[in-house]
Amino acid sequence: METIINGFKTNRAFAVTSVLVLCLLLIAIAAPVIAPYDPTHAAMKDAFLEPGAQHLFGTDKLGRDCFSRVLYGARASLTGVLVLVASVFVVGTTMGVVSGYFGGKVDMVIMRISDMMISFPGMILAIAIAGIMGGSLVNAVFALTIVSWTKYARLARSMVLKVKRRDFVEAAIVNGGTPGHILWVHILPNILPMMVITAAADIGALMMELAGLSFLGFGSQPPAPEWGLMLNEGRQQLQTAPWLMFFPGLAIFVTVVVFNLWGDNLRDVLDPRGDVED
Amino acid sequence: MKKSLKFTAAAAMIGLMAFAAAGCGDKKAAVSNEVVKFGVTNFADNLDPADNFFSWVVMRYGLGECLVKFDEKMNAVPWLADKWSISDDKLTWTFHINDKVCFSNGDKLTAEIAKESIERTFKLNTRAQSIFQYAEIKADGQNLIIKTKKPTPTLPGMLADPLFIMIDTKVTNRDIKKEGPICTGPYAVKSYSKAKAVMVANEKYWNGKVPFKTAEIPTIDDPNTRAMALQKGEIDFAINIASGDLQLFKDKAKYNISEIASLRTVLAQINMNEGKPLHDPKVRAALIQCLDRETYNKVLLKDTFIPGKAPVPPSLDYGFDQLKDPNAYNPENAKKLLAEAGWKDTNGDGYVDKNGKNLEIDFVFYSGRAELPLYAEATQADAKKIGIKVNMKNVDYNVLDPMRRNGEFDLIISNILTANTGDPEVYLNWYWKSNINGSQPQNSTGYSNPQYDALSDKLSVEFDPAKRREYMIQMQQILLDDGAALFFGYPKTNMVSKAGLANANIFPADYYWLTKDVCPKQ
Repeated sequence: METIINGFKTNRAFAVTSVLVLCLLLIAIAAPVIAPYDPTHAAMKDAFLEPGAQHLFGTDKLGRDCFSRVLYGARASLTGVLVLVASVFVVGTTMGVVSGYFGGKVDMVIMRISDMMISFPGMILAIAIAGIMGGSLVNAVFALTIVSWTKYARLARSMVLKVKRRDFVEAAIVNGGTPGHILWVHILPNILPMMVITAAADIGALMMELAGLSFLGFGSQPPAPEWGLMLNEGRQQLQTAPWLMFFPGLAIFVTVVVFNLWGDNLRDVLDPRGDVED
Repeated sequence: MKKSLKFTAAAAMIGLMAFAAAGCGDKKAAVSNEVVKFGVTNFADNLDPADNFFSWVVMRYGLGECLVKFDEKMNAVPWLADKWSISDDKLTWTFHINDKVCFSNGDKLTAEIAKESIERTFKLNTRAQSIFQYAEIKADGQNLIIKTKKPTPTLPGMLADPLFIMIDTKVTNRDIKKEGPICTGPYAVKSYSKAKAVMVANEKYWNGKVPFKTAEIPTIDDPNTRAMALQKGEIDFAINIASGDLQLFKDKAKYNISEIASLRTVLAQINMNEGKPLHDPKVRAALIQCLDRETYNKVLLKDTFIPGKAPVPPSLDYGFDQLKDPNAYNPENAKKLLAEAGWKDTNGDGYVDKNGKNLEIDFVFYSGRAELPLYAEATQADAKKIGIKVNMKNVDYNVLDPMRRNGEFDLIISNILTANTGDPEVYLNWYWKSNINGSQPQNSTGYSNPQYDALSDKLSVEFDPAKRREYMIQMQQILLDDGAALFFGYPKTNMVSKAGLANANIFPADYYWLTKDVCPKQ
């Protein structure tokens, strides 16, 4: 934590991208206040209006204001991706740590399960799961979690294996520390920076996967405003009303770039040498 | 840091430009003399005319033909049969089969084969007997004699339904489902899968020379993809371009748009069985009244559809203007009706509820036709304004019909051909006549009105066209008064072709797509 605050002061780029991330989050939170119209209110007589004074981003096929929908979409998309990253992080790290620390049969079982998950093409499996469970943002997050935790598990496991051999861990064991205590106090704090960096850098990629699932119809369902879904809805009018795809696409693009840059800077701040302490 | 930002921005710009440029493709107006490519929607798993509604595809692809066909005015005219007559007791019809007709393998079409073909259909598909019922079929040389159980005024039109395609029943060693049947049409099957069909010219075609050696028919269910394929020149003509894309083909030098007011109605059947939320007539009326169908059709669908009101579209003369719709657009009244039926929003969530449960209905639709999801979403948006929660269920077309027959819906939408046998009688029976022991398998909504059934029975034996019209007007008024279904609109159907192709015209009955007349422009 102190490293981060310190980094804020010394690393200019990190400060800037952190502010951008904060802006995005603020927009998402403040959407009900900023948005000029109700995103699901269909004033059908105003369908397909071009961007103009009344409607900054134009209107869609049911006459809903695109600007409001993009703003509210930030809530759905950002919440979705943050929950997704958090759950992948927690599940993956836990599995990896348990697997690395306890070794033996537990390790074998967890790693074979993770091998199985890796051998499936991720998107296809996510589609299958979301297809069986029905389309909704929650199910999409669930499906993507199942598919994406393996990377974190493997990373956590390899780091735990390295840290496990260090002197202070052996000292703690000799002193009679329970596995739980050792994991929580000694092992976790040493692997956490790397895991957090990986998670932050992944926000962008997972945002794309979530938007992809919604685009295919397995994520948010109409009339919910969500960027991936809006891309799909705009696709049918690509040639006659291109603003319907342009603005949600731009929103996704900006969000992914901002989070990617922030992740990179976070890595610079937390681990400036670019490798794990040995 | 700044460098990577610049690079990202540059890459994004290039990406966007490439994306924009991809829309412009080659526009080749010329059509090959040997191969024609036709982009279609296709729901047929196989080519057995007796299976499901797949016979439509058998006919659309130029493979199968019937004894009778419909012209541009929906009159029943000779096809494989060159003339027919009816006996004085109005029960016995004699169809004379054209002597020239032969199958693609050279076998002659005799009345005996025609008889076996029809009997096969009746054996394999229960829909046949909901169209007409025969007491006896006899074959005498080229004369096919059908004795109906009761007077059947429109039998010729009924035999034009693709369900009664003539197949060569003498061929027994052919896997009809995989390779398609042996038929009389201008094209024969080289290979078929749901995703693509390749047809070859029937060398022995009985009715003239077949213009193309090969026809490639890829299935492009997504309407926008189909439009883009035509723009790029990947296909020479396409069926049903969506309303939003039609303006892309307005250049008469490059494309030809054949568009007509169709005989179709887009309607949603309403599940009004006991225990379902729409069982209450007031709730049904409220739902229908809250939908601004005028705006859906004029604005959302860019005026390519006519606003819905009655079961039978205005392109047919069955009293469209004189029928009165008690459920015309009136959202204020809709709210009142809901309140009268005991539905109030007690928990402030925006939806009305009763006994702790929200008024929620499932709207089942499919996306193969561009207007269906649009109507579904518009319904969802308008229903929300009076407090009804509509859940959209997008399903594959293949599961739609079974869901309809099993009643697994509150609303289920389809784009339905109303005159598949030449006049709307069969359509009016299929969806709203009482379904007793499976007599009308398409009606699982629980709708049953004895007055309606009585009119339908009188209609089935009435030969006088004026009286038939009168009965059908009365039947439609009953449906409107009962709130029996949601009539969204009446589509225009179209066929869009490159300027180098001639006679790619759409008919009111959409059985005739790839016909013997579609040829390169001379």
